[in-house]
Amino acid sequence: MTQSAEHVLDHFELFRGPEYQQMLANKKKMFENPRDPAEVERIREWAKTPEYREKNFAREALTVNPAKACQPLGAVFVAVGFEKTLPFVHGSQGCVAYYRSHLSRHFKEPSSCVSSSMTEDAAVFGGLNNMIDGLANAYNMYKPKMIAVSTTCMAEVIGDDLNAFIKTSKEKGSVPAEYDVPFAHTPAFVGSHVTGYDNAMKGILEHFWDGKAGTAPKLERVPNEKINFIGGFDGYTVGNIREVKHIFEEMGIEYTILGDNSNVFDTPTDGEFRMYDGGTTLEDAANAVHAKATISMQHYCTEKTLPFIKNHGHEVVSFHHPVGVTGTDAFVMALSKLTGKEIPESLALERGRLVDAIADSSAHIHGKKFAIYGDPDLCLGLASFLLELGAEPTHVLATNGNKEWAERVQAVFDSSPFGKNCHVYPGKDLWHMRSLLFTEPVDFLIGNTYGKYLERDTGTPLIRIGFPIFDRHHKHRYPVWGYQGGLNVLVTILDKIFDEIDRNTNVPAKSDYSFDIIR
Amino acid sequence: MSSLSATIQNVFNEPGCGKNANKSEAERKKGCTKQLQPGGAAGGCAFDGAKVALQPLTDVAHLVHGPIACEGNSWDNRGAASSGSQIWRTGFTTDINETDVVFGGEKRLYKAIKEIIEKYDPPAVFVYQTCVPAMTGDDINAVCKAASAKFGKPCIPVNSPGFVGPKNLGNKLAGEALLDHVIGTVEPEVTTPYDLNIIGEYNLSGELWQVKPLFDELGIRISACISGDGRYKDVASSHRARAAMMVCSKAMINVARKMEERYGIPFFEGSFYGIQDSSDSLREIARLLVERGAPADLLDRTEAVIAREEAKAWAAIEPFKKRLTGKKVLLITGGVKSWSVVAALQEAGMELVGTSVKKSTKEDKERIKELMGQDAHMIDDMAPREMYKMLKDAKADIMLSGGKSQFVALKAAMPWLDINQERSHAFMGYIGMVKLVAEIDKAIYNPMWEQLRKRAPWETASNNWQAKAIAQANAEAAALAADPVAAEAARRAKKICHCKSVDLGTIEDAIKTHGLTDVAGVRTHTNASGGCGACAGRVEDILAAQKAPTAPLLQAAE
Repeated sequence: MTQSAEHVLDHFELFRGPEYQQMLANKKKMFENPRDPAEVERIREWAKTPEYREKNFAREALTVNPAKACQPLGAVFVAVGFEKTLPFVHGSQGCVAYYRSHLSRHFKEPSSCVSSSMTEDAAVFGGLNNMIDGLANAYNMYKPKMIAVSTTCMAEVIGDDLNAFIKTSKEKGSVPAEYDVPFAHTPAFVGSHVTGYDNAMKGILEHFWDGKAGTAPKLERVPNEKINFIGGFDGYTVGNIREVKHIFEEMGIEYTILGDNSNVFDTPTDGEFRMYDGGTTLEDAANAVHAKATISMQHYCTEKTLPFIKNHGHEVVSFHHPVGVTGTDAFVMALSKLTGKEIPESLALERGRLVDAIADSSAHIHGKKFAIYGDPDLCLGLASFLLELGAEPTHVLATNGNKEWAERVQAVFDSSPFGKNCHVYPGKDLWHMRSLLFTEPVDFLIGNTYGKYLERDTGTPLIRIGFPIFDRHHKHRYPVWGYQGGLNVLVTILDKIFDEIDRNTNVPAKSDYSFDIIR
Repeated sequence: MSSLSATIQNVFNEPGCGKNANKSEAERKKGCTKQLQPGGAAGGCAFDGAKVALQPLTDVAHLVHGPIACEGNSWDNRGAASSGSQIWRTGFTTDINETDVVFGGEKRLYKAIKEIIEKYDPPAVFVYQTCVPAMTGDDINAVCKAASAKFGKPCIPVNSPGFVGPKNLGNKLAGEALLDHVIGTVEPEVTTPYDLNIIGEYNLSGELWQVKPLFDELGIRISACISGDGRYKDVASSHRARAAMMVCSKAMINVARKMEERYGIPFFEGSFYGIQDSSDSLREIARLLVERGAPADLLDRTEAVIAREEAKAWAAIEPFKKRLTGKKVLLITGGVKSWSVVAALQEAGMELVGTSVKKSTKEDKERIKELMGQDAHMIDDMAPREMYKMLKDAKADIMLSGGKSQFVALKAAMPWLDINQERSHAFMGYIGMVKLVAEIDKAIYNPMWEQLRKRAPWETASNNWQAKAIAQANAEAAALAADPVAAEAARRAKKICHCKSVDLGTIEDAIKTHGLTDVAGVRTHTNASGGCGACAGRVEDILAAQKAPTAPLLQAAE
């Protein structure tokens, strides 16, 4: 036996043993109707051709390797950003398990979230009873201060009316009548996780500002000097929100982070389990209506939320996930303009340091070609930063990007001579990206963990920036926003560039004449 | 075996060195060791110079005898490329400790050599002396001699401890070590009429390989390159070559000249930086080889290769010329000789607005003048503020320099390209020139510079560091203009001799008072140019300026 109790092999090693190799070979030969390896190879090569690409891009119905997730994931992400709030997803429990594992695997933190566990009879007769029981159980078992309800497709298909259901549940005594249960309809067959973020954020603000679903008077806005900040769906939320707070504090601005999940996704190990941690207090969420202005860091995460806020009399500003010097300049300038506060010397120094770092290393990035995929705002932010560095974002692809997004990306390309040969691909998937990487190769690919298959198949080195990142740890702790964040993105890109140079020069007696200590 | 001080004297007496030839006997004895100004920033030491000169010999073990500092900080810090052995990159050191300092480290050194030979079996072991064992009296010559005899393997003492002087002296002492212990110790297996030595070339980024195919095509054999991608046996048998090309004139002139003296190998000084220089060098090589008996058709074949390669290079540069014509270049460089790069840049249509001459010899400067005209802006030292001013006044578009100056350029928001030893691109030969032009183009058109120069959006035009720096400079200039006394004081305070810290006023006064007419006189009275001698040219200029208006004796009589 390859495996033995004295020396237990893990799966990396075990299945390379002769018995397993033999077994797998036999299975293939006898039961799997194996194809001629030459034919397999021929097809593999054919799939790299422009001819195949053409067929690939003619795909109409099938999505292969999508670079997006579903609405409720975004809704859960928002909900945990409020004080002691339990995300409650009305629908089937399997979906909810996905959101929890997705968030857990990325942030390496527990992810608390419940579902109404709808079953077949609920699908037939409606999910009201599941809502009534679910809210009561969740309220009693987990003692949340608020329950934020969103939905899976199942509830949406049968048309469950959350507003009415929650009202009925309260009447039936599931939760106290004055208890906060904001809600949002978040069907996965519309939009993506960024849409879900938008709907959930709007649902919560609407709840607090517009009379708690008719159970309280609407809030009268008494403008103050505060600024609201909305980060949007963001895999770097832990580092980013802390960085943004730092910027606000350096500038002496009073602020409210709406949906502050920076603590709940980064709880300390000190003997205490925190099901909830940090978050925007419910009081702050309500009082946010009085703020002078609201800033959204990701336009496509707040397409409905921001107009809603504007209607309440706020000044609103949105960004596309700003990364780098110009992006961050625009962000701090907007803060300065909205508040009348001056930008302090401390931020000018941070800026100078980022500029300095760029100057020190730019020669290595300048002229390199990149493919980027990810959420629409992230793509825009990264593409702008690459152009700033003299790199070419040759392919920019967002499965959840639309035509209007594509126009914005094109405008970014047009703003720089390095954008001349760059193309944007809205609504395409990672199998499209595969064809792009084969037919129009680039130096590096930027994307999430799923990009590793593209890296393996096409040989394009993957720089992991995005969500989810499952196979590298703790990236979410480091900001990508602010001048410090720009530095982190720069270093992430550079590390891969240098790794590649080393990898290409490290063969003893062959290429190691350039395997240098100093780069 | 001569003592270290005798070797140093011998190196100082190098007749091949133009600067040296201009010195008086007494001055020559004092040597060209620039006495460093205590407290001032300084460059590498003699040990470092010796190490970088020999380190590119790839198949030998380089063993540094000293505390960890010397090898620990210098291990594998040059981008010289090897086509074979990588042992040169392995950091060998005796890493001496307190006991060795007290009781002597010779035994440890001997054992270290033994272990290297047992474990690695290189064709030779080079042993580098450093300050500490030199002071405690470890005799590396004796140890190497004993080890060579015992192990039957050449152990080469490189006696160049850091304290004897600067890096350049170390280069020469490294050359002496080769001359004393290596060159001529092995007879080559084959010789051809086309055997060429290349001296002072280090194959940084593998740039020698950009030229080598041309040699191969012409049938010219590099019998030894000292020291880039060099092999011990090749260097040991290099005394049978027919001709030599000396690439970096300051570093290894003693090697080239003494090989001519001892073995009758004629040499010329050439460069492969720039198209014209490459062609000239190839021609010269062919000429020398034919003179020494190679078939005369080599000349024609060389011309054909030159014509072809030039045409190819020009064609490749052509598309860049459009983008680069009129671009102004500031050249701050140490090792790569300024004038050879100057020609290269002009070929690409660029205009040279200034060049550093800190490490250039007098001839180098003459050549720069020839190439750039009499208005050549030669810079000894440049502050970031001045650099920024040049940039701001559109006097320069890019700076080419070594790694050490990069930060000055970057802080001044000046586009910058590395052309010294730590660079990652090979710029030699016809291909190298195309690469250099492409890299300059890339550097100039990097959008990052725009970002770098743009002030933060919240800064007003008058409230950013650039404006402040310029305003300060202008204010100082205005203050001087308004105050002739202060202006005169400032003029007179200009440092002429950096080694001996002598200013212009002192020299002018001395010339007037004593009616001096030559550099030697100025040196006697003020000590100016008594150090490295690099300021002799400036002193000459001052002498000329002083002579013009009135006769000094008359003035003194008044």
